Amino acid sequence: MPSDTLEAVSEIRELSYAEAVREALAQAMEADERVFLFGEDVGVYGGAFGVSGDLVHRFGKDRVIDTPISELGIAGAAVGAAITGMRPVLEIQFSDFVTLAMEQLVNQAAKIRFMFGGKASVPMVVRLPGGSGTGAAAQHSQSLEAWFAHVPGLKALQPSTPHDAKGMLLAAIDDPNPVLIFEHKLLYKTKGHVPAEAYRVPIGKAAIRREGTDVTIVGSSIMARKAEAAAERLAGDGISAEVIDLRSIRPIDFTTIAESVRKTHRLLVVYEGVKTMGIGAEISAMIAESEAFDFLDAPIIRLGGADSPIPYNPVLEKAAVPQEDDIVTAAANLVRRGEA
Amino acid sequence: MSAEPMSADQKPNQRPELAALDDATVAQALTRMHLIRKFEEAAEASYMRGLIHGTMHLSIGQEASAVGTTLPLEAHDYILSTHRGHGHCIARGAEPKLMFAEFFGKETGYCKGRGGSMHIADVEGGNLGANGIVGGGLPIAVGVGMSIKAQKNGRVCMVFFGDGASNEGAFHEALNMASIWKLPVVFVCENNKYGMSMDIGRAMAVANVADRAAAYGMPGHCLDGNDLAGVAAVAKLAIARARSGEGPSLIECKTYRWRGHSKSDRNLYRSKEEIEEWRNQDPIRRLEDELKAHDRFDAATLMKLEEDAQRDIDAAVEFARACPDPDPKDLTRDVYAL
Amino acid sequence: MPVEVILPKVDMDMETGTIEAWHVKEGDLVRQGDTIFEIGTNKAVMEVEAPATGAIRNIRAETGVPISVGTPVAWIYLDGEAATTPSEPAAAAATVAAATSVSKTEVPATPAIAVAQTSSGLRATPLARRIARQNGLDLKTVAGTGPRGRISEADVKRHLEQRPRCAPAQETRPAPAPSANASEGRLRPFSAIRRIVANRLSESVRTAPHFYLTSEIEMSAARDLLGRLAKRHERIGAPKPSLTVLIARVAARILRDHPVINASTEGEATRFHERIDIGIAMERDGDLVVPVLRDAGAMDMPAMTREFARLREGMAKRTLTPAELGGGTFTISNLGMYGVDSFTAIINPPQGAILAIGRTVDKPVGRNGEIVLRPMASFTLSSDHRIVDGVAAARFMADLREALENPELLL
Repeated sequence: MPSDTLEAVSEIRELSYAEAVREALAQAMEADERVFLFGEDVGVYGGAFGVSGDLVHRFGKDRVIDTPISELGIAGAAVGAAITGMRPVLEIQFSDFVTLAMEQLVNQAAKIRFMFGGKASVPMVVRLPGGSGTGAAAQHSQSLEAWFAHVPGLKALQPSTPHDAKGMLLAAIDDPNPVLIFEHKLLYKTKGHVPAEAYRVPIGKAAIRREGTDVTIVGSSIMARKAEAAAERLAGDGISAEVIDLRSIRPIDFTTIAESVRKTHRLLVVYEGVKTMGIGAEISAMIAESEAFDFLDAPIIRLGGADSPIPYNPVLEKAAVPQEDDIVTAAANLVRRGEA
Repeated sequence: MSAEPMSADQKPNQRPELAALDDATVAQALTRMHLIRKFEEAAEASYMRGLIHGTMHLSIGQEASAVGTTLPLEAHDYILSTHRGHGHCIARGAEPKLMFAEFFGKETGYCKGRGGSMHIADVEGGNLGANGIVGGGLPIAVGVGMSIKAQKNGRVCMVFFGDGASNEGAFHEALNMASIWKLPVVFVCENNKYGMSMDIGRAMAVANVADRAAAYGMPGHCLDGNDLAGVAAVAKLAIARARSGEGPSLIECKTYRWRGHSKSDRNLYRSKEEIEEWRNQDPIRRLEDELKAHDRFDAATLMKLEEDAQRDIDAAVEFARACPDPDPKDLTRDVYAL
Repeated sequence: MPVEVILPKVDMDMETGTIEAWHVKEGDLVRQGDTIFEIGTNKAVMEVEAPATGAIRNIRAETGVPISVGTPVAWIYLDGEAATTPSEPAAAAATVAAATSVSKTEVPATPAIAVAQTSSGLRATPLARRIARQNGLDLKTVAGTGPRGRISEADVKRHLEQRPRCAPAQETRPAPAPSANASEGRLRPFSAIRRIVANRLSESVRTAPHFYLTSEIEMSAARDLLGRLAKRHERIGAPKPSLTVLIARVAARILRDHPVINASTEGEATRFHERIDIGIAMERDGDLVVPVLRDAGAMDMPAMTREFARLREGMAKRTLTPAELGGGTFTISNLGMYGVDSFTAIINPPQGAILAIGRTVDKPVGRNGEIVLRPMASFTLSSDHRIVDGVAAARFMADLREALENPELLL
């Protein structure tokens, strides 16, 4: 749905996550002619997940560019355009395909500014639909964001609400650095309040979705939403959970997490990426190294993806990533028994 | 296109490629070739004296390719270079003293000592950087071409790569995209016969890298890369084609690096005879001989060009040695733009 | 499945208990109802019976360490059950078993080693450690309620609340190294009761500024009354009243008029008790215990005498509940029967006062200008000056004298 028809509606209008992303893209392109979109099937097809939608008709095929299936090539093209004055927004059709583009993102985009002594910047945005839950199996369902959070020079975001999806994309387009935005495919149809104006959500600031006193649940992407739902159930059970939506994993808002842990004394980290060597490991270690350590009254618990590729069978697929029930159980056990 | 070296007895009729270059241009080209040669010899000497921390990839013997291809570029055009990229920088007018400062890891270097030999860039000067990854610059050139096209600024992007890079997927993706979108890019393959140790004949099933241009619907030019005038003439055509919006070209300069791949190369994969044979094809001497044969420059003038270049390089080394090292507290300063 | 043996809650406000002694060891066969360990609360020692018949395995609680109620301390394996650890990692069980075997040593010849082994297995959360550090608290004295006995914030706070006025300096003092003549004599570790008494009285001396008022009171009238009461009690089938009970009765009566003496310290406040619960200090097997005459102010002499007899019997038979052994509002300690002339007592915290009574002995006193012999007893009131002032204490003593010398005035 074109966003300008929605702008007439009052300030409490709701958009889907995908519509919010599209609106951000449209507003960025309207405001800045340096901004252009490209990627596989983002034109007439409207994007594999319908995110770019009708934008090619509104902005033309010179600014909404279908590319060959050449992930490395298009990632490099984004780098080249960015260092020469453009503001490219690239869509990697499935985040899994970013494996083909690693060279350009990791060796080039992330390092050019540093290698050149600060004399260049790479203001590019890469959008990466990812995550499981669609029956797309092992090569189309991964959550690889932690890989990129490991690379200095990149920024990695995981907005979980339509509001943040729009605000963080606009902030990312403004940002003079390469920013990767991991969009969970299951979130695209979720709805939420999205202001009509072109607002920004600051990069690197986590959101406290719910205040609580007994346990801090840090979630990223869709897991932040599941954590919110879990917290509601926990409240009915007499447990007051504080839910922090990470939103950005590089830079990571360690202060907000640490302050929360100092208050609740318990930490549960939930993320869809493989648990081993994942986001949770980093957050746990940061707490362990920090002053907040002395405020822990229980071990830090991580809920993450299984040490398994994402399976096709829907039962197995659910079992491979944390579910709301898992969060409720883990948080309740952590509070009541001091272990998950 | 003639790929044969000139000999002195052809004096009466200067070939058109050389005739097309006026004396000032030729002198400038010669100066740049000398600077490249002297720069790399001094770099090698500095390395042997322990003044340089990392390794380096020398392009001695390939100077005509770097200088010839870039000679027709305009000041605002872009280049993207390779790990063997000192020549491209100097050919585009980079200051040797700032390059040496970078080699020595100094705060005054082109990249403030953060990049070193493999990452010299001069973004303001249109040099978008050397690249430590084989084929790394090729997709970037596509994006630069997209920028130029979107900004309609009439520039051209010339991207260098080696014979080894032409077997990377990036090469094929980049040539294809540049061609379908008719981007103002000139792809320059400096074929020095070896991808590190692997002979191009063993690494590739076609005779020439330029033959691959046909697959992407662009012109492919296979050149004697040690012939400055011949290289410059073809480059001029390719640049003009790019600038006019007709699309990219692929130029293959067949040349040879006299030194090993890097400072750790013991030349086990090639013979002394082969190296000697190519030293006889020294692009600088060939140009000088041809100029003398046609009475365009006398020996004294040529000598002076070389001596001036040597003096500049010596001064550059002195400058760089005296520069300060970076402060460790600034380690992460340039990781992100603010 | 093996049957869990937990540390039971045996008192209403009990949160932790200490295993005083194990009556069984690893692998012993027990019948349901057999005593398997003794548990000390902060008020009493109770015996705990086996909940099932079978073999005791995985004893994981040491003696002498406070443990939160509900914590599994062992398992009973029914006949034929494999002796694997039911819910604990084998390694943890092994560690606990090892620690238990150390604690089972009759008299630890090398206490330092036993302590070291205990502390190396200590599990505590960072927050618990931090709070313990801030309060100078040795975590070895804290019971962990978490997985594998982990000590949490709640455990430490509970512990601190139970001993809120302990001076940190005392707590952090390292366990004394065995002295040079450590092998001489006999070393008996404190019983749970002894440890509780020691802590409470040490705390009282350290924190409550005591002052003492002593009165010599003529006991002629009280003796007469006691004689008359004995006859009456015989008639109505009540036990023979003792002087201690009479004094308790008198004290209970006059305490009504002296609320500040029937009071306790509570943080920085005075708690005035509505009910008068008089504790009577007594000795049992070398331990000090204080059974309480609950609502003494509402009892007449026969009722109080009966209640006192019941308490004394229950104490001897160890059938009193912890509730009957604590929670008084005022305490009386009578050492007269041991020939003590007079003494000062340490206040039983958080109470505000304690009355110490010496023997009744004929003494020369002046009466109407003549020196005569009268039965006199020394009464010494120890008061906590934080809540009781000298004049208030003196008024109480004056009323006590008047009541004991003229008991008919109480009627």
